[in-house]
Amino acid sequence: MNAPAARRVAGIVSRGVAAVIDLLFVGVVLGGLYVGLILVRLMLHPSSFSFPTVGVVFSTAVMFGVAVLYLTACWSVSGCTVGAVTMGLRVTGRHGARIAPARALIRAVACVLFPVGLLWVAVDAHRRSVQDIVLGSRVVYVKP
Amino acid sequence: MSDKALPPAVTVALGAVAGVADGVAVLYRGAEGLPVLGSWLRRTRVELQARGERVLAAGIEVILDELDLNTLARQRLDLIGLANEVVDGIDLPAIIRQSTDSVTAEVMTDVRTQGERGDDLVSGFVDRLLGRERDQR
Repeated sequence: MNAPAARRVAGIVSRGVAAVIDLLFVGVVLGGLYVGLILVRLMLHPSSFSFPTVGVVFSTAVMFGVAVLYLTACWSVSGCTVGAVTMGLRVTGRHGARIAPARALIRAVACVLFPVGLLWVAVDAHRRSVQDIVLGSRVVYVKP
Repeated sequence: MSDKALPPAVTVALGAVAGVADGVAVLYRGAEGLPVLGSWLRRTRVELQARGERVLAAGIEVILDELDLNTLARQRLDLIGLANEVVDGIDLPAIIRQSTDSVTAEVMTDVRTQGERGDDLVSGFVDRLLGRERDQR
């Protein structure tokens, strides 16, 4: 199976749209978690219920955790996030194979902490983001 | 369709008539091969055949004109039952599912193609801007 090596590398538009879709997905998950928190509070203290207020640091930490967990799981299991599936993309290693969980974790942390690195895709001759250059990963088109 | 069987005497009589008719047909076909009489017999058969077809067609037309099929269908058919049976036979959820699937697949393919085109457009623009040779990525 040598087809993955021949696959074209995706550019900034597809990857940008996929990233926005992933961001929306993480937002939906965070919303779900918040609703869950409300329901748990309502269940435990029905008489003195009030909407929970979450601090900026806590929300940022949860968002970071959810995003890193989501990206790591998707990239190490199938190489595809929800955004990537929508746009027909897959994250692979340099030779087209799936990336290892440890590398997926580092890539996820790097992507969440430094999303601007994606913009390098538009400038790089091989359509690599800063994270791709450092970690040796690729984002390729998956033809149906 | 009636389940009642015809009396044996009637079926035997019908069988005998059919056998005789077959025999006559075989004899007539054999006679058509005779030297002088044969051509006349053949011509007569063809003419009779054509005339029979004309009469039959006219007869069917007259019968169809006289019949009120709508009234007959209403009187003799269980139209509601028939309609229910037809509706039951149509797998509407499957049809909707199939059409939705194909529309979704089409939209997805379109979005991906547009994305890929956008990627190439941006790459081409940046390559021109940086004076870079375009390569196959």
